[in-house]
Amino acid sequence: MTSSDVLEAPTGRADPAFPLFSLLGRLSESRGWAYFLIIPSLILIMVVVIYPVISGILMSFQELRLTRPGSNGYIGFEHYIDLVSDRIFLRALQNTVVWVIGGVTSQFLLGLITALALNRGIFGSRLARIVVLLPWILPTVAAGHMWALMLDPRLGVINDILVRLGFLDSYRAWFADPSTAMPAVLVVALWQGFPFFTLMLLAGMQGIPDDLYEAASVDGANPLQEFIHITLPLLRPIIVSTVVLRVIGLVNAPDLLIILTNGGPGDATQMLSLYAFNKAYASFDFGYAGAISVVMFIILMVFTIVYVRALRATQE
Amino acid sequence: MRKNSRISSGLSRRQFLKGLGVSGAGLMLAQAGLMRLAAQAGSINYWHHFTSESEFLGLEAIMAQFKERYPDIDLIQENIPNADFMARFTAGVLADTRANVSMVTTERLADMVAMEGLVPITDRVNSWELREYFPDNRWTGITVDGEIYGVPAFSFVDWMYYRKDWFEEAGITPPTTLDEFRAACVALTDPAQGRYGFGMRAGGGGQAFIADMIEAFGSPLVVDGEVAIDRALAIEAMDFWSGLYKDGLVPPSAPGDSYRQIMEGFKTGQTGMVWHHTGSLAEIQAAMTPDQFGTATKPTGPADTLTRTSFLYNGLMKDENADAAWAWVSFWGENDPAITFLEATGYFPASTAVADDARIAENPIYAPAIVSAAQGKLPPQFIGFAGWSQEIALPAFQRILTGESTVEQAVDEMISGLADAL
Repeated sequence: MTSSDVLEAPTGRADPAFPLFSLLGRLSESRGWAYFLIIPSLILIMVVVIYPVISGILMSFQELRLTRPGSNGYIGFEHYIDLVSDRIFLRALQNTVVWVIGGVTSQFLLGLITALALNRGIFGSRLARIVVLLPWILPTVAAGHMWALMLDPRLGVINDILVRLGFLDSYRAWFADPSTAMPAVLVVALWQGFPFFTLMLLAGMQGIPDDLYEAASVDGANPLQEFIHITLPLLRPIIVSTVVLRVIGLVNAPDLLIILTNGGPGDATQMLSLYAFNKAYASFDFGYAGAISVVMFIILMVFTIVYVRALRATQE
Repeated sequence: MRKNSRISSGLSRRQFLKGLGVSGAGLMLAQAGLMRLAAQAGSINYWHHFTSESEFLGLEAIMAQFKERYPDIDLIQENIPNADFMARFTAGVLADTRANVSMVTTERLADMVAMEGLVPITDRVNSWELREYFPDNRWTGITVDGEIYGVPAFSFVDWMYYRKDWFEEAGITPPTTLDEFRAACVALTDPAQGRYGFGMRAGGGGQAFIADMIEAFGSPLVVDGEVAIDRALAIEAMDFWSGLYKDGLVPPSAPGDSYRQIMEGFKTGQTGMVWHHTGSLAEIQAAMTPDQFGTATKPTGPADTLTRTSFLYNGLMKDENADAAWAWVSFWGENDPAITFLEATGYFPASTAVADDARIAENPIYAPAIVSAAQGKLPPQFIGFAGWSQEIALPAFQRILTGESTVEQAVDEMISGLADAL
């Protein structure tokens, strides 16, 4: 038996007793082989992505209240028409814009500053990298309850510190006042979200060759110029992807808000995701919730396309 | 022939057939018993929304008793936070990943039945040997269109905790009417000492008080499936309720205060009164001395009581393993589990047989609860109530507190929102 015999057997070419191997062998040499290999992934994507999206879109055109089985059915664009005059929806849309812009901007800036600091390789930076990641690792539920306690108007340690430092006269109910509820929630989101940017940007910074900085230094560039002309341009792909991911995360995830304010007081922290969630699971109005979700989906798609194209245009 | 009709043992044909019949019946009964035992086996899961440590201790104790009684039934308890309970329940119904047994409250019953999430158990209840210890009002809150969907496990008896020492200091007694209640709030409030008269719950869970207040001022919410809120009475009710906040008689954090905040406020000496049900007694007793706090019935409104007495039920979500599920559901109605749970948590039993037990009847701390249990009325039962109260009524009320709406605007919003919800 030669080595060529051993290699030939699995293809089935030499042995008609294995027609499947023979078929696979022929297929592997054709252009269809690539398509054949991606079929499992395609099926998976169809089942867990395409089908739910289409189902959600179809749902938005239906009256679908679980508690009114008799009155369900297709109603066209009625939910979308109702959305235009829905005061809570409009407030939630406005709040979502503030939440996303405020959240992403603050988290990106703090994440970038932290990444720059950790990238300098100063003493203790290894430990600091681990510590910085802790808020990101902590489950949102635990983080939410922890911050609710820290900002508590009776027992909160943050109130205590601010009073002792003279910034406040008395303990403040941060989540009970519409003017402070959103900033307070944004602070919690900042604490939880900035390590994501730190982690990704730090990884990007460590991939930039030192030669570039050395060459720039020889040419007389100061650290700020190095940052603007070397670091930022080379981090651009990471910045694009992290910002898009974070925007999607902030728009879609109501978990932190549910724990801290549940949209209140009034509608001061009502967001689209939270409104859709409550419409579905408190009012059982899945059709209307579906319409809100489709609007969110469209907004996110438009944002992502415009943002990526704008950055590409800037780069070119 | 006659001779042939006798069998060799000397028995007549009639005697033989009679004996055969008796033996057969005995065999069938034995078989039924065996089948019943066999049916009361297997694995069942139980969705609940217990939250406090005392509730979990009580649940664990009952589960241990249940295991002793039914060693062949494996009971798996699954805790779902109350705020997420309906989301999980709905997902379970939609995806057909139901539990065997689920907790059911009266406020949620209409929605749960409307989405076909519960299995009627009327026949089982009517043939249950403990049925007689549960008067009709226990079943009203779990009945839809004549079908019973659960068994009462324990009751939520509304009452009031008050700072006994503060009341003595102010020379006043627990209020019995809303006017007296407000006067007591004024007497107890002292911002210089960080004291407020009442711990208002206007954050999560505060929606219940809005419906209570509107009804206590004389306006129904829904009659025959139609909105029946009397605008003038509702405005009066919301004006009174929000007035406590505007006049500084409750903590400024009230718009965001939920159960945890009002309890901590009371326990840490920030508030002089708080309304809840008997289920929080164990927590209060653990944190305060008997000299510091007392219990009383809630004050009555101008037209109706503010006190609710509702029941926590357990119901079947599917027919699979129904006998084992029924064993768990009905077990809660027995004396020992009910007393065990009361002692662990303070939740009152639903069974009259248990409520008459000396450990309850002769304990003075429970006296207001016994009165409240008799006076209390059931929560509203109409489809859409939970969504309306949580999504419309509570935010509208919060906007009054934060100055974003007038009382009139908020009430109008509640009325129009209720029409949409029905």
